[in-house]
Amino acid sequence: MSSRRSRSRQSGGSRITDDQIYDLVSKLQQLLPELRNSHSDKVSAAKVLQETCNYIRSLHREVDDLSERLSELLATTDSAQAAIIRSLLLR
Amino acid sequence: MNHCVPDSEMEDDDSIPSSLARSKKPSMPEDQVMELLWQNGQVVMQSQNQRSTRKSPPFKFQDSDQSAAREIRSSSYHHHQQQQQQLVADNHLFMQEDEMASWLHYPLGDASFDHDFCADLLYPSSATAAPCVTSTTATTSAPPPLGTVSQISASAVASASRPPIPPSRRNELESTRIQNFVHFSRHKAARAEQSAPSKFKSAVRETTVVDSSETPAMAPELGATRAMPSNTEAASGGNNNIDVASGANTQSAGVSGSASKDNLATCEVTVTSSPGGSSSSAEPTAQKAAPTEDRKRKGRELDAAECHSEDVEFESAETKKQTRGSTSSKRSRAAEVHNLSERRRRDRINEKMRALQELIPRCNKSDKASMLDEAIEYLKSLQLQVQMMSMGCGMVPMMFPGVQQYMPTMGMGMGMGMGMGMGMDIGRPMMPFPNVLAGSPLPTPAAAAHLGPRFPMPAFHMAPPAPPPDPSRIQPNNQSDVMLNPLSMQNPNQQPCVPSFADPYQQYNIGLHPMQLPSPQNQTMAQPSSSRPSTSGSKGADNLENHPSGDMAR
Repeated sequence: MSSRRSRSRQSGGSRITDDQIYDLVSKLQQLLPELRNSHSDKVSAAKVLQETCNYIRSLHREVDDLSERLSELLATTDSAQAAIIRSLLLR
Repeated sequence: MNHCVPDSEMEDDDSIPSSLARSKKPSMPEDQVMELLWQNGQVVMQSQNQRSTRKSPPFKFQDSDQSAAREIRSSSYHHHQQQQQQLVADNHLFMQEDEMASWLHYPLGDASFDHDFCADLLYPSSATAAPCVTSTTATTSAPPPLGTVSQISASAVASASRPPIPPSRRNELESTRIQNFVHFSRHKAARAEQSAPSKFKSAVRETTVVDSSETPAMAPELGATRAMPSNTEAASGGNNNIDVASGANTQSAGVSGSASKDNLATCEVTVTSSPGGSSSSAEPTAQKAAPTEDRKRKGRELDAAECHSEDVEFESAETKKQTRGSTSSKRSRAAEVHNLSERRRRDRINEKMRALQELIPRCNKSDKASMLDEAIEYLKSLQLQVQMMSMGCGMVPMMFPGVQQYMPTMGMGMGMGMGMGMGMDIGRPMMPFPNVLAGSPLPTPAAAAHLGPRFPMPAFHMAPPAPPPDPSRIQPNNQSDVMLNPLSMQNPNQQPCVPSFADPYQQYNIGLHPMQLPSPQNQTMAQPSSSRPSTSGSKGADNLENHPSGDMAR
């Protein structure tokens, strides 16, 4: 944190070291399925951020779909196992 | 609309020739006839060679051609049932056979003649418009009679402005018709089209209406066009369409005399001079429009090309260079360029950061680094969640016998693959389960021991040992009951304690929950094995607690 504060005078008002940002961006990149394989050096931060946004949105959608499907499945299945799974997942 | 007109005409042309055995200009008469029909009372011959010249319509031919007209009419009905029927029905009131006959002749005649003829017809045709219309219908059907008519019209052409153009011309004029059509519409200022049964007419009407406003402007053009008698087939084709429209226009709008003449002619159906004039005028206008459009398009393209930010910047930088000195200006330029690009890049990144911030739930951090950290964690949790749910989806369908088999497999795989991550968001739900299992029949000590080291995996590891022993000891029914009981007991504890699975961030609080769950359960199932998992679980919970707390403190 101190490092950030000391660099508060950086251009553009960026109070965070570029290295930090770079680390974070690289970490993000590793998480993204699309950008994981491509060379990380040339991927710009903007692109990584864009991909992250898209990926999060897609994950949201996927979660919604899965939860819907799961709820349907669990509602229909009436076995004990279903109850178990339900308790496991729906908590 | 424009397209409709030619299309319909085309169809007619095709049908006519094919249908009509007579080889006379098959398309011509029929097309012309159709157009004629539409125009109110003005059965201008659909002379494709529309000429603006207006001459007294040679009605002399009418009488002789009546028979022919009738024939044509009959044939027209045959072929152009749709339009003609409508036309005929509408125009019958207005049509007079005599006039029709004359009309029929005209179309077949020379284009020039036809134009003139039509023009002449148009003017007097205000009264004879009906007849013209009828004649048009007749003409459409009967090519042969038109042939004869053409001969006669040829002579009459001189007087007539524009007789209906032969169908052959029409085809060629199709394309031009559209142009002429537009042109005409301007001239004709939307002459009311009384009978517009076919879409043709309606289309024409539309165009004419639109252009009616421009009719006055077009009037001079009409005059000019008229001067060009040879509106060639192309013009005539277009005129035909336009004629219909123009006819309507001319009727409605009192365009200048010449224009009106043309309008009338066109209205009547095509050939009249107006059509010719309109077509001719339409052509030039269309042509003019094309280049202007092209120019516009090019301009737009150029602008688009120039709008490339980088290019623009470079250009501006270059201009700046020119304006300033040499060395210093270069540096300044470079600096400017650099600053600009840097600024743009930064703006883009900030924009994306803001978007990301909105996506992440409960993100109240303003600085980039912390926000990025949160984004990373959120992304991981989301991935885990999706993975779990997909696995659950796979499990649910195969509930019954295979679940137990799957459970161990799942536990193994998940333990391997997920590790801590799994523990983070699965540990929570899993905690009660292993406890329950442990509490129920025979959680082996080994299984219980597993709970300790692998906090996240206790559920899975417990499941395999628990179910197998149960069946051995208890019947399947009992087993399920046993399972259910703990679950029911669990549920009340679990629900309040454990946050929803869909709330990934609650994983960070996972440490707390496991703590709470095991304790009551341990109390209920006082068994050595269960106690062990609880202790180990509590240990794990403590660990987890510290972890999330550490994160939260951040």
